[in-house]
Amino acid sequence: MSTQSGVLAVYKYLDDLTHAMEKVRSKAGFEDYEVFSPTSYHEIEHAAGFTDSPVKWFTLTGALTGMFTGFGLCLATDYDWPLVVGGKTAGIYSLPAYVVIGFELTILLGAICTIIGMLVCCKIPNPKTQILDTRFTDDRFGIFVPNVGTDSEQAKVLRELGAEEIHAVKGA
Amino acid sequence: MSDTVWKKSMADVNDGILVATEKPHPTYFLTWALSIVMVLAGFGMWGYMILHGIGPVAGLTSPVYWGVFITDFVFWVGIGHAGTLISAILFLFRAKWRNAVNRSAEAMTIFAVITAGLFPLIHVGRVWLAAYWMVPLPNTNNLWVNFRSPLVWDVFAISTYLTVSLLFWYMGLVPDLATQRDRTKGIRRLLYGFMSFGWRGTAKQWLHYEAGYGFLAALATPLVLSVHSIVSWDFAMSIQPGWHTTIFPPYFVAGAILSGCAMVYTLLIPIRYMFKLEDFITEDHLEACIKLTLLTSTIVAYAYGMEFFVAWYSGNEYEWAIFEKRAIGPYSFYFWTMTICNCVFPLVFWAKRFRRSIPVAFVVCFLVNIGMWFERYNIIVSSLVEDFVPGSWGHYQPGIGEIVMTFFSFGWFFFWFLIFCRYFPLVSLSELKLIMPKPNRHKHSSH
Repeated sequence: MSTQSGVLAVYKYLDDLTHAMEKVRSKAGFEDYEVFSPTSYHEIEHAAGFTDSPVKWFTLTGALTGMFTGFGLCLATDYDWPLVVGGKTAGIYSLPAYVVIGFELTILLGAICTIIGMLVCCKIPNPKTQILDTRFTDDRFGIFVPNVGTDSEQAKVLRELGAEEIHAVKGA
Repeated sequence: MSDTVWKKSMADVNDGILVATEKPHPTYFLTWALSIVMVLAGFGMWGYMILHGIGPVAGLTSPVYWGVFITDFVFWVGIGHAGTLISAILFLFRAKWRNAVNRSAEAMTIFAVITAGLFPLIHVGRVWLAAYWMVPLPNTNNLWVNFRSPLVWDVFAISTYLTVSLLFWYMGLVPDLATQRDRTKGIRRLLYGFMSFGWRGTAKQWLHYEAGYGFLAALATPLVLSVHSIVSWDFAMSIQPGWHTTIFPPYFVAGAILSGCAMVYTLLIPIRYMFKLEDFITEDHLEACIKLTLLTSTIVAYAYGMEFFVAWYSGNEYEWAIFEKRAIGPYSFYFWTMTICNCVFPLVFWAKRFRRSIPVAFVVCFLVNIGMWFERYNIIVSSLVEDFVPGSWGHYQPGIGEIVMTFFSFGWFFFWFLIFCRYFPLVSLSELKLIMPKPNRHKHSSH
């Protein structure tokens, strides 16, 4: 991923940021804007108008795969070498004894797939990540609009909406 | 906990926590050196046991083949419970105080479970054969592991727990490692950048992150409850008097959470001092941890009582004989240590004065740790020495190898835990920011 050029607005206050986000969300020229935050405020999610994250489908797929793998593993070894207990003939498969293995693998693969889903959706690991401002992991918020300059209409709007600073970001 | 009075604001979080970790108090290095000594002694002893067998240095002999090694195993698995409880269950309950302590509790979980995982290996002596009963691998006779055995369930439970706790912990670390990346230069920046996967903190990333974190918490919650239940089945699925009882799963889970909370407190006090975190891990947070300790202590006390009631009410003379001997027999010292440490001392926490007094709470939590170790010792040893056949009754006395390995486990645990404290954010930066006053220009924002 090559780095992008554009204009970056830095905000100090959360309410200024969410107010700005609500204003620019449906404006022309802000289609690809990005918001940066040091932590996960729900206010930002609401202001961005996000719908549900698709991570849940990864979790569900992983959990179901794990469940079938767990029971499958136990049943397959039982089929390969029957352990005859209580005088029951081979070929009678008792599921209750295998619930624990089924349960543990449901959790294990569910968790692993959740992490994979999170990484895929967040587009990480990304070795060539573009760090626009190191303060976004500290105490500042930001709005980045790609492919425009500091003299653009977008930069003017962001400044009017309470931006602390406006920077030009050079791409490569 | 929302009424915590913060002396600091969100902008102080990074500096306050990360600068402190760079210059720890001298006691940090002293503790670390001590732990290295214990680790070296332990590895020496383990090497001796591998070369010469565990017989000469361990007290294990008929009828007691599960002694201090299995006690240590159950003890450390139990310690490992509070971390994921605090990070997952309290997350789902939206208990805000967890955000200040969850990182150190999760780290404690991971290192405790790793420590626990060593003990079955130490216990079996011939470690190189472990693969046959640890993983589903048919041996030379084409026999599989027995999936009906609680010991195999335990292997699955512990390894799942370790993996999921590790993922949960690392996922929480990613945004904080990005913070460290943005504060450092040169090789450290490169390393933290690599470990943080190129996290940028965009609103979209936070959305997926939060969703993933919620699902992991939802998966980890039944897992926490299942792991110690399964450990308890190692005992309860047998027909040994004193073990064969249906109250074991909830009893073990409550005990695990009690020991875990007490251990969290025992760890937080020194690290809070070593790294000057008093303004971030406040007395309110510590008190919340103590309240959880008190709650689980009362559940454990109830379980101890109920165990006796069940033994008596069942009319099973073998069961009752074991419980009678636990209380007044040759091993009664262990029983009373456990009861007094776990059920009597924590009663001082009903008084707010003592809950908030750090020296008192620290000493009581330390005693609870000792009591919880003796609980496992009491359950394992007192049931094994005398079973149904009087002719096979015996006696058990821990050997030097077992004592050294117990100290080794503490050294090993602290060795890793202290390394973690130094190089990773000890408090979750992004989550701590979330419970601090919101950085709003207008104080009564309507969002």
